[in-house]
Amino acid sequence: MWEGISTGIATAVDPINLCWVVIGCVVGTFIGMLPGLGPITAIALMIPISYGLDPAAGLIMMAGVYYGAVFGGSTSSILINAPGVASTVATSFDGYPMARAGQAGRALAIAAYSSFVGGSLGAIALLLFASSLAAIAIQFQSPDYALILVIALSSVAAFADRGQILTSLIAAVIGLMLGTIGTDPSAGVQRFTFGQLDLSDGIPFILLAMATFALAEAFRMTTDRSEGPIPSPGKNSVRLYPGDARDMAPTVSRSSVLGFLIGVLPGAGATLASFIAYDTERRLHKKVNRVRGIAAPESANNAACTGSFVPLLTLGIPGSGTTAILLGVMLSYGIQPGPRLLETEPGVFWGVIVSMYIGNLILLALNLPLIPYISRVIYLSRKILIPFVIAFSMLGVYLTTMNPFDIFLMLGIGLAAFLLRSAGFPLAPLLLGFILSGMLEENLRRTLYLSEGSLTIFFQSPLSATLLTVCLIVWTIPLVRIANDLRRGGNPRD
Amino acid sequence: MQRPQRIRLALILLASSCSYADRLHFVIPAGPGGGLDGTAREIGRIFKTFGQYESISYENMPGGGGGRALSQYLENRSRYRDAVLVNSTPLIVRSLQGLFPQSFRDLTPIVGLIADYGIFVVRADDPILTWSQLSTTFKSRPSTVVVGGGSVRGSLDHIVLALALSSINVNPREVRYLPYDGGAKAMLALLSGEVRLLSTGLGETMPFLDSGQVRALAVTAAERIETIADVPTLQELGHDVAFANWRGIFAQPQLPPKRKIELIEQFHELRQTNEWNAALQKRGWTPLDLAGNAFANYLLEQEKLLRTTLTKLGFIN
Repeated sequence: MWEGISTGIATAVDPINLCWVVIGCVVGTFIGMLPGLGPITAIALMIPISYGLDPAAGLIMMAGVYYGAVFGGSTSSILINAPGVASTVATSFDGYPMARAGQAGRALAIAAYSSFVGGSLGAIALLLFASSLAAIAIQFQSPDYALILVIALSSVAAFADRGQILTSLIAAVIGLMLGTIGTDPSAGVQRFTFGQLDLSDGIPFILLAMATFALAEAFRMTTDRSEGPIPSPGKNSVRLYPGDARDMAPTVSRSSVLGFLIGVLPGAGATLASFIAYDTERRLHKKVNRVRGIAAPESANNAACTGSFVPLLTLGIPGSGTTAILLGVMLSYGIQPGPRLLETEPGVFWGVIVSMYIGNLILLALNLPLIPYISRVIYLSRKILIPFVIAFSMLGVYLTTMNPFDIFLMLGIGLAAFLLRSAGFPLAPLLLGFILSGMLEENLRRTLYLSEGSLTIFFQSPLSATLLTVCLIVWTIPLVRIANDLRRGGNPRD
Repeated sequence: MQRPQRIRLALILLASSCSYADRLHFVIPAGPGGGLDGTAREIGRIFKTFGQYESISYENMPGGGGGRALSQYLENRSRYRDAVLVNSTPLIVRSLQGLFPQSFRDLTPIVGLIADYGIFVVRADDPILTWSQLSTTFKSRPSTVVVGGGSVRGSLDHIVLALALSSINVNPREVRYLPYDGGAKAMLALLSGEVRLLSTGLGETMPFLDSGQVRALAVTAAERIETIADVPTLQELGHDVAFANWRGIFAQPQLPPKRKIELIEQFHELRQTNEWNAALQKRGWTPLDLAGNAFANYLLEQEKLLRTTLTKLGFIN
């Protein structure tokens, strides 16, 4: 293996490859920063360029675009509440309020450092354990995935904590229901599409995210005139506050490990990783700590993004839409990832992994100096900021789906979301329910089809039994706590 | 150069680049990175290398199971006058199922370029060694072998399974088919032991056969395939089944005959190039040699077969 690593270092520091990792990271992180544009758009945009390169350089660049976009993705979540990719939704929960409180620079710095640590730890783990982890990835079956998704769904409890138990649950159920629109994942029939071909693939994630987060927030800002100006930044606003690093360290290490492990599972990926990491931190620390709330999802999603290369490189199985495109790129070079990639293309295999470490350093160096400039967006006057947010989020949706129908759908959903929000329903659980809905349904239906409707399948393997136990624990603890609060005669927490 | 002159020159250049056969635009009914996208881009790259067209452009239009691209392509005829549409077997399946009202009859079939065959694989350590062992199991206890596939019920992987089952006189509705979101996840389910048999495409399976993780029992090609010479075809096992998932090129319905001949000729030349054969090799694609009317007749035949199978499965009446 050490031989492999040295081959990898040799490939990665080759001046041409070094040049391409920089290009990949720059393009990725800038596209990722734009609201509504995420890794898939960034990678798709670079495909034509990748065809002209030799395999190692091309893959190093494309990988750079991928994790660069994940790295930069937090920017629009934090500044304008417009997560361009599902894995940065959790970042906006604490990131956006912190930015509105006049600490945009601090929030961005926390995100940048956490992303860096998550990505780098992920790259090291990939280097050391790639082949052994692949064996674990093929242990997971549909019942196990279904249970993991139920565990992730329990992060609704993190929102229910704020005294909005019923409204949070209702919002989550609306999200789950919205996720059933489109083609039935099992029988292939059309559901709730009203014969509209435009709805047959379901509501695109990016559309719902932009509508419920960016648009609903823009509408609120338009109508809510009571909100005062955002406090002006202090001198140190672009840096971490003293003590932030101490708060972040344990969170970032926990979340990176968790994120990497979840990222290794094909189909789970960065989104689940970020939600579960956020939820874990919320449960471990009773007091709301926004620093941890940003650090957890950001380190987890970057580690998971690196982790998703495990099944791609060692099994030849892409776990997400983005890695599926990367697989297409590898195939176009005549490189077949899989158990034999190590023998057939050691230079590519190790080169890509080592370049990720370099790439993360570049991203940190690139992102930190930009923070003071980017964070000024938040001080724009509403007259400028609101149209900017609306225009950019629509552009992002249109560039992803290229379908004018989606613009109208987005406006409709945005309006509905604004009304829901005005009625006191939190929208984050709605988006969470929507994200998990499709995967949960697919895996649950497969599970029950396999067991012919019997629920005992969830106890049958040690893995499912363990996950079921975790599942029961994470769902009962908040209920017990709420019950206790109610018995004491007070309102539930907060 | 004066400014008005410069603008005029630019306009002339623009106009000339839009003239009939200088540019080729591909409409791809899928996102970037997949098989259809790869096909269009390989063709475009080779056309450009050999100077058949000065400019080649691509437009990815995923959505609606390919229906969105089809309706856009047919509704904006003036815009897509010179454009070609890349497509594959699901075009027939989905219009049979009534997902969209149009069918391949509304298009001018140009060429069928690539074939992907259905293949049945088990894990390398599975005690089932041959197709006949598998069919004995299917005949005695059809519901015991759970079969996975990379697409929903009633789509390609399920249809290929149903074709094979019908040929051994097993009612396909009695066999349990488990759908996955894509061939890759279905393969993972086979490796993890969640399903016993996988019904999938040869192209996607090739690397797993090469690495020895899975074993193939039969393939739906009419003749044995060079790269997997030890895998028997269903036909030589005595079952009257041959099926290919084709990938081909279509043009607008009212295509001038001259242009049709020109396009067919260009694709004929493409097949002869080393670059195309290298691309086939590199991507693990099996060539298909159909053009013009032969391709159109092939589509009609396949539609008949698919209609029968979908009726047997109960997806259409």
